[in-house]
Amino acid sequence: MGTFIDKIKEEFNGYSKSVKIALYIMFFLTAGFIVFGIQILFWGLGYTDMSNNYPFGQWIIGDLGLVALGGGAFSFGFILYIFRNDKLAPIINSTVLLGFLCYLFTFVYLVFDIGQPLRAWFGYTYPNWGPHLMPASMLTEVVWCLTLYFMILCVELIPVVLKHKVLDAIPALRYIGHYLHRIMWIFAAAGTFLSIFHQGSLGGGMWGVMYAKPEWFRPDFFYLAIVAAIAGGTSFMALCAYMAGKVMKREIVPAGTFYTIAKISGIMMLAYLVFRIYDLIVRAMVYIPAFDRKFINLLSPYYGWLYFLELILAVIAIVMLLVKRYREQERFFLTGVASGTLAITVSKLSVVLNGSAVTNFPWKQFYAYNPTIQEWFIMLGGLSIMVLIYMWCAKYLPLFPHAAKHQAAEADTPASH
Amino acid sequence: MEMKRKWGMVIDLDKCTGCGACALACAQENNMPIFEDDSDFPKRVVFLDLMKVTNDRDAKYPDVDVCYIPKMCQQCEGNDPKNPRPPCVSVCPVVATDVGDDGVVSQVWSRCIGCRYCQASCPYDARTFNWWKPRYESSFKNSLNPDVSVASRGTVVKCQFCTHIWKRERDKAVARGELDINAVTYTPACVAACPTSAMLFGDLNDPKSELNQMLKREKGRKFRLVHTIDQKSEKRQEELKRIKNYPNPKVYYLSSKAWIKEMMKFK
Repeated sequence: MGTFIDKIKEEFNGYSKSVKIALYIMFFLTAGFIVFGIQILFWGLGYTDMSNNYPFGQWIIGDLGLVALGGGAFSFGFILYIFRNDKLAPIINSTVLLGFLCYLFTFVYLVFDIGQPLRAWFGYTYPNWGPHLMPASMLTEVVWCLTLYFMILCVELIPVVLKHKVLDAIPALRYIGHYLHRIMWIFAAAGTFLSIFHQGSLGGGMWGVMYAKPEWFRPDFFYLAIVAAIAGGTSFMALCAYMAGKVMKREIVPAGTFYTIAKISGIMMLAYLVFRIYDLIVRAMVYIPAFDRKFINLLSPYYGWLYFLELILAVIAIVMLLVKRYREQERFFLTGVASGTLAITVSKLSVVLNGSAVTNFPWKQFYAYNPTIQEWFIMLGGLSIMVLIYMWCAKYLPLFPHAAKHQAAEADTPASH
Repeated sequence: MEMKRKWGMVIDLDKCTGCGACALACAQENNMPIFEDDSDFPKRVVFLDLMKVTNDRDAKYPDVDVCYIPKMCQQCEGNDPKNPRPPCVSVCPVVATDVGDDGVVSQVWSRCIGCRYCQASCPYDARTFNWWKPRYESSFKNSLNPDVSVASRGTVVKCQFCTHIWKRERDKAVARGELDINAVTYTPACVAACPTSAMLFGDLNDPKSELNQMLKREKGRKFRLVHTIDQKSEKRQEELKRIKNYPNPKVYYLSSKAWIKEMMKFK
């Protein structure tokens, strides 16, 4: 036991001062997550600032945001295994793990977000299917696609885990890992198929079908969310790998891979921006007038600005990622991927926060919402746990094969002299 | 046996005094929990909300007027009454809510997982969520209505036009030997409690029903909550219905005050 604690201490002391401070903060948030998580699960959602007027709140970042950003996993899987763009190979393991964590924690946040967590399985046993096996409820589609895709991510993660030096030494496991890797394109294709549906339905479709809600209703929202997930997800995966490299203080992903991702993400972000502008115009000209309301009057004073922030961030991301001169400079590349990630996160926030703030009756004012301490700790604590798991996996699993090769090459160089 | 009924309601706002007897009767009939601070409106559990509406948006003193609007689930049916599609029903991931042959949008508390998707999609704020565990003070427990199940914490609940009363009446009819499902009508608790008879409940499918007679008679005073499409020409209505579904509620309001209808429009 003593040696185990010593080992943890040794590992902790191995980090730089700033990483140590970040770790202290994350441990604190995690402790809060556990305490307030128990409170919410046992005593209910009354402790949140959500209400009958404002049924969805900040945790939606944990539901919608994480799924959209985790969308990078299916995009990269598709580009690597189906399009055979090998430049993405050095980052794919990290991407699969991030996708896995994003989806896992989406389930965690959903468990907190629903009023009856013990009935969560009803989604599988009493699904709201319509005729011809098409789901009537967008949430039914989300539950099923999310679960099936999460299973695929688990399978995609197995070869990464089996590559650990202890497991890799066992021949049977080594073969399993190898052959699983060979057939991974099947899972990548199935994952893309499922992802496109749930990205569309959770990110846009489930809001777009609410025909009595002017802030949400539009038929094209489903497709917009798919583009958003690819644009934001690819930026997010690059951002995480870049940050991991900074913490580990070595080159874990070759610069060429980052440039390729920047290009893909930039193009998708441009597509997203064009689609988003079209979406705003169609809403303002066709759908919102059909409710006898005006687009400008739906912008809440508390959250309306999120629309503008989203567009600004998207433009920054496009410029930084598409202009070769910028994306090849580290700080501009970082600005680009961070802006891309934030643009999509802000778009989800704007959907939920501004959408919920809009009142149904002309004699009522916009609703305001101020997340409680429970909501803050559960959201930030959950994200902290994700970061801690990712850091732990980056240390002990071969997430970045390029880093291992790079390190081996560096080790060989002085010996040859 | 074919269901012939389609329940609807008319509320005469000129007769409504805002006494709140309807809200009280509804709460008692449907086992609404009581909390220490029920002024916490956004988390209150009620099926029937008595909304106070003034015209101070458009008018200035001394022309400011007040009106009370009892608002419960408006039992929407969407553009096509033959294939009813209320905004809240198709969204439920676990079929906890459905629209019956009688047009009533029902909700099964014990099936609900509390995702609040239906609540978000409701254009009338008619659905409420049990944010806290429902509590009943001291002897109030003894007066709980056995025909309505007590909801658990974390579930969405809503007005169902006191459909359990209809069930009770039908059971009585069956006991008398009357097996036709359409044989009896009923009166929801709010309608029965109204001291000024401002509320009228009945069958929208029966042209002879008092409800339909009143709706025919009161064309000038009739309107529906925030359903401004009703005020457009038939041609424009057709065009708009091609763009999207409209709630098309089965609860009608009557008022001779023009400003109330004007307040239904967003400006």
